[in-house]
Amino acid sequence: MTFTLLIQSILAGLTNGFVYGLIGLGIAVAFRGARIINAMQGDVALIGAVMAYSASVSFGLPMPVGFVIGVVAGGLTGFLVDRLMIRPTLKRRGSEDSLLLVTLGGAFAVSAAVLLYFGRDSYPIPGIGGNDIVDVFDASMRVHAIWLIVISLAVVAALRWFYAKTLVGQALLAASIDPEGALTLGINVGRMRALTFGLGGLVGGLAGVLVAPLINIQYEMGLLLTLKGFAAAILGGLSSPFGAIFGGVLLGLVESLAVVTISSGYKDVVSMTLLIAIMIVLPQGLFGRRGRLGG
Amino acid sequence: MKRRTLAAGAFAAALIGSGRAKAQGATGEPIKVGAIISLTGPGAGLGQPQRQGMLLAEKTINAAGGVGGRPIKLFIEDDGSKPDIAKSKAERLIFDEKVSAIIGPSLTASTGAVAALTNAEGMPELCFTGLGPRTELTYKSLFHLLPPQDLNARAMLEYTTKELKAKKIGILHDTGYGQVVTNQLNTLREKYGVEFSAIEKFEVGASDVSAQAAKVRAANPDVVFVIATSAVPFRNARQVKIEQPIVSAIGSSTYDYVRGFGEYADNIVFPEFLVGEQPKDSQKAFVDAFRKEYGSLPKNFEAAAWDGVHIVAKAVEKAGPRASGKELAAAMRAPYSGVMASYDFTKDDMTGIDLSSYVFSKLVGGKFERLPFTTK
Repeated sequence: MTFTLLIQSILAGLTNGFVYGLIGLGIAVAFRGARIINAMQGDVALIGAVMAYSASVSFGLPMPVGFVIGVVAGGLTGFLVDRLMIRPTLKRRGSEDSLLLVTLGGAFAVSAAVLLYFGRDSYPIPGIGGNDIVDVFDASMRVHAIWLIVISLAVVAALRWFYAKTLVGQALLAASIDPEGALTLGINVGRMRALTFGLGGLVGGLAGVLVAPLINIQYEMGLLLTLKGFAAAILGGLSSPFGAIFGGVLLGLVESLAVVTISSGYKDVVSMTLLIAIMIVLPQGLFGRRGRLGG
Repeated sequence: MKRRTLAAGAFAAALIGSGRAKAQGATGEPIKVGAIISLTGPGAGLGQPQRQGMLLAEKTINAAGGVGGRPIKLFIEDDGSKPDIAKSKAERLIFDEKVSAIIGPSLTASTGAVAALTNAEGMPELCFTGLGPRTELTYKSLFHLLPPQDLNARAMLEYTTKELKAKKIGILHDTGYGQVVTNQLNTLREKYGVEFSAIEKFEVGASDVSAQAAKVRAANPDVVFVIATSAVPFRNARQVKIEQPIVSAIGSSTYDYVRGFGEYADNIVFPEFLVGEQPKDSQKAFVDAFRKEYGSLPKNFEAAAWDGVHIVAKAVEKAGPRASGKELAAAMRAPYSGVMASYDFTKDDMTGIDLSSYVFSKLVGGKFERLPFTTK
């Protein structure tokens, strides 16, 4: 293996890892604030990407405006998921299983709606820096991928500050960990859950507008993203936003290094073996305990 | 062979021309034809263009007076890319609608599910898949409108070894369509005397495959095969500075994927059957009619669907309006010069498409150009 090949595999691993991590981040935010696994997270990203594309390409708005519209659309979708799906299910004493099934059904519905209104074609969306690439020891990385990494890290830092330092963030955690206790303190648990899903939706929308320039927008992309994001979130610890990003990057790097050191045919075997081993040793994930404590 | 091809072009042109002249069209009792395609699910990328090709053929044939004065009536059903749904849709079409023939499905698994029914009934089925499991060889009323993947792989190797004179090939493929074609390439390696210096794969929907692409580049091949149903590997291959010619497969040649290549849609060769920008003489009438109807250029799947409906119409004309399914299937077992390819349904593989039907296109600055290379 040449040095260039090693560097290229690390760059590819980082790109893929932050993609997984960004989706996992949204799943972790929803789980941290509501103890609900949102199987729609990848499809929230799809909605964000479709809205960004429509705004900037179909309606000719500047790309940054399109990106903002995509992120806001993700947030709105998250809010609507709570109002139209989660709240009615909980009202009828729905279990964790039924909530998972409801969001999974929602994921298929979003995919079908995008197919109906947006079509089967895949749509390219320009990234930050266009298609420019950066050379690193003869290996290459897209400028957009570097921005994806920087923005992801900034979002994790912002979430950490939000949960640790703001009243709303702490109320949100309290409502999640002990809903009845939070009620006695005057915290509106339902509103906190809506806020959680809105926040998860914003992260999902952001993931959509950042991931779409790498893979093109396509109606089926949501579920594929959810699967990898879910693996990242579990690896890092479902309730830890930082853990989701860390889990994603670890997964991406292991996959990529397996490609160059062993074989691309064994990439998933290696990464999933690692996932199983970590789950046996640390059932809460790498940062599960810290996430529970608010870190 | 050439005479048959020209005759097909003249036949299609005559149909389209007479369609314009005869405003009244066909009015008799309709000839019911069932169609099962994947309009949703993973196979939607196949089913949507197939639907367009079939509807245009139906409209053109009926505008030209139908078959013996009777219009063709298509009953198009979506199988959602699922074999069990395809089978239940086939049951409805065969036993409730009492169609004369089935066109489709779009996917191999669904083809098998439907063929078990049509074979039992002796009903002709013209599927949009190449020869699949060996059991399909025992079905005598199942006709394939697309070539087997073995032929697609051979077409790639023909161009690579004869035009590019290359022997050392790197392969970058996905785990779906790419895997199927790569399996066939492996079986042909010795016959063509080539060496696969690197074979790297990635999952469908991957966001970055530059590690795999870099590994292919490091093997220093003369040519790189990129076989996938997404734009990502093509972009990544060029981003990691693979400067060798890229040869791809027919399934990657859609306008949809090429749009996603962006500025990297250059110096990529596809073996296929129809280049809408520069069609063969026998394909021009179809391309013009398609562009007039839909405002876009057709590709291979649209042409195969057009051919499917015309093959049924011709068989009904030959076997007569009261022919049974078995008689209709017997009428189809003959050579047919279509728009997409020259078929010979008397052959064992129930398609008869050979390498001479292929054309080779090259992406130059994002546009398809038909290459002069042929396998003859």
